[in-house]
Amino acid sequence: MNKIKVGFISFAHMHAATYLFSMLKRDDVEVVGIADEDAERVRPYSVERGIPYYADYNELLSQEIDAVVICSENARHAEITKRAAEAGKHVLCEKPLGLSEAEMLEMIRVCKEHDVQLMTAFPCRYLTSVRQAKEAVDAGQIGDILAMKGTNRGTMPGGWFIEREKSGGGAVFDHTVHVMDLMHWFTGSKVEEVYAHAETLFHDTDIDDAGMVHVKFANGVVAVLDPSWSRNRTFPTWGDVTLEIIGTKGVLNIDAFAQKNEVYSDVTGKAAAWSFWGDDMDEGLINSFVESIRNGKPVEVTGEDGYYSARVALAAYESASTKRTVQLKSQA
Amino acid sequence: MNIAILGCGTMGMIYAHNLAKMPGVTVTGVVDINARRAERAAALTGAKAYTDVASLFEQKDLETVAVCLPTYLHKPYVLQIAEKGLHVICEKPAALTLEDAQEMRAACEQHGARLFIGHVVRFFPNYHDAYQQAHSGKIGAPKMAHFKRYGAYPQGMEGWYTDPGKSGGVIMDLMIHDIDYACWLFGEVESVYASVVKRDEPKMDYAQLTLHFKNKAIASLTGYWGYPGPFTTQFEVSGDQGIIRFDSNQVQPLDIQTMGLLRGEGPAVQIPSGSSLHDPYYKELQHFIECIRNGSDPLVSIEDACYAVAIAQAAGQSAQTGQPVMIGGNVS
Repeated sequence: MNKIKVGFISFAHMHAATYLFSMLKRDDVEVVGIADEDAERVRPYSVERGIPYYADYNELLSQEIDAVVICSENARHAEITKRAAEAGKHVLCEKPLGLSEAEMLEMIRVCKEHDVQLMTAFPCRYLTSVRQAKEAVDAGQIGDILAMKGTNRGTMPGGWFIEREKSGGGAVFDHTVHVMDLMHWFTGSKVEEVYAHAETLFHDTDIDDAGMVHVKFANGVVAVLDPSWSRNRTFPTWGDVTLEIIGTKGVLNIDAFAQKNEVYSDVTGKAAAWSFWGDDMDEGLINSFVESIRNGKPVEVTGEDGYYSARVALAAYESASTKRTVQLKSQA
Repeated sequence: MNIAILGCGTMGMIYAHNLAKMPGVTVTGVVDINARRAERAAALTGAKAYTDVASLFEQKDLETVAVCLPTYLHKPYVLQIAEKGLHVICEKPAALTLEDAQEMRAACEQHGARLFIGHVVRFFPNYHDAYQQAHSGKIGAPKMAHFKRYGAYPQGMEGWYTDPGKSGGVIMDLMIHDIDYACWLFGEVESVYASVVKRDEPKMDYAQLTLHFKNKAIASLTGYWGYPGPFTTQFEVSGDQGIIRFDSNQVQPLDIQTMGLLRGEGPAVQIPSGSSLHDPYYKELQHFIECIRNGSDPLVSIEDACYAVAIAQAAGQSAQTGQPVMIGGNVS
């Protein structure tokens, strides 16, 4: 069997680790190298597993590989994606796709120009509950969508996530994009108007860690989303992904991490913990990417999807500072 | 305490049920334009039944009147009652507009009558506990909150709930509970943003609104008349050091399943029920009656009730204009 050759560029975003493990599970994938300017950070994943290490990602890009997975700081997505595209490699890029509309459109353009695929890493599309919900909505079980409320509340990640020049924004940027992508996917429509708050409420930091994002879609659907880093230290898990969809014929609720056992441990010292036992969404994402590359079919979550979702977060900041609604142009 | 009940619909019967068993309280009169409904309330309380309020006013020792009329009738009847120098316990919302509510307040003040508005959620043990926990410092400083209140479409007399000119719709009638609670928790509101979805066949009135408080706290509220599931209330209050959550569907201290029980028609207006010795309406009425006896200040003041009406009105205005509404003035 002809193996798909994959390289990893940067483990700044630790999603890279689960993406790597998902790749390593596949017989038809060969991970040919891991590039990261920080050798120590990737030692447990690279040399300790017999995977070649590259200090310079350009060197990795000059190898004979089919695709790269980019999990750098958000601010470097554009530069690395464009280099990879120019080297003829397909790209799976961590979210949010880029820091500005222009930057993201450029990423999409360069990938098209070099005839490589660009996939945005939105693993929530591969949650089993989400896929079942999509099927239920598409089958008309709740009629037409009228309104939605979502949450993607999390724990404050710290590190480069709260350094604006590397992350591009705080909680509103980090956590709007996942559920906004699901909202786009479910409605099949695009956000036209944004009204939002962005505040620093929970932590001693300069960047926003709380917000509330209202959107209106071109098809008239209204929605609201809480992207806050509001889970405290003793909360039994890292956070949540929930989406409630109000339809003309019913109501659907997704609580993506509801499949959990409650663990009360004197050993770990945590009063209560939730042990999630549902399906692995990261594996679903990686499998989809690999299969698209392998079969030469379009990726299921495109660069455009990443763009449409991230631009809502960018508009949210504009709205939060102007205290007015922000209109989005209907085409990319 | 001699008390009369004006309006013997769903709420009037709840008042009748609770007042009938309250020590030191005598229900002396019950009034409804529908004689059969007045008789039903009379049978429960031992009070005299009337079909017009003028006949009630002939009672010599009457001290207090509980107003359980449709919202649009609050002002005209409260003004009449105040003129007689009788104290008033009035169902929420106080009135359909801030102006009307203030007129009621002024009339009662002028005639030396007390006026209480039944924001019963403050008397629900779960909400009351959350308020106390939130203010105990256990979750640090409260910073964000979510509130959800879903139920069937209420079936009032001659469909008065469906007429926004009579009930004010889902925001003014249902969500005002959570608006009042959120303001109790966070204080003065800086701005309100709301989206509303209304439909006929089947009838629904759904709203999602965000309150941004002067202390920067954010509250997200959803309310739904026409929800196909069981009556549901949920809340989450998140502070910088902890989280308090409640979900009515997760709290079931008693569960009884019986064989072959046929599902009958639901009640006209859904009221949450629970396993407590006294329902929250009992606590609320007892508290208001104590305030009348002692001349003490109530847990929820007429100023609070006026403020909640003002915020609900602002939310309605925001839903109409599509823009946030800035709130002026102060909580007195």
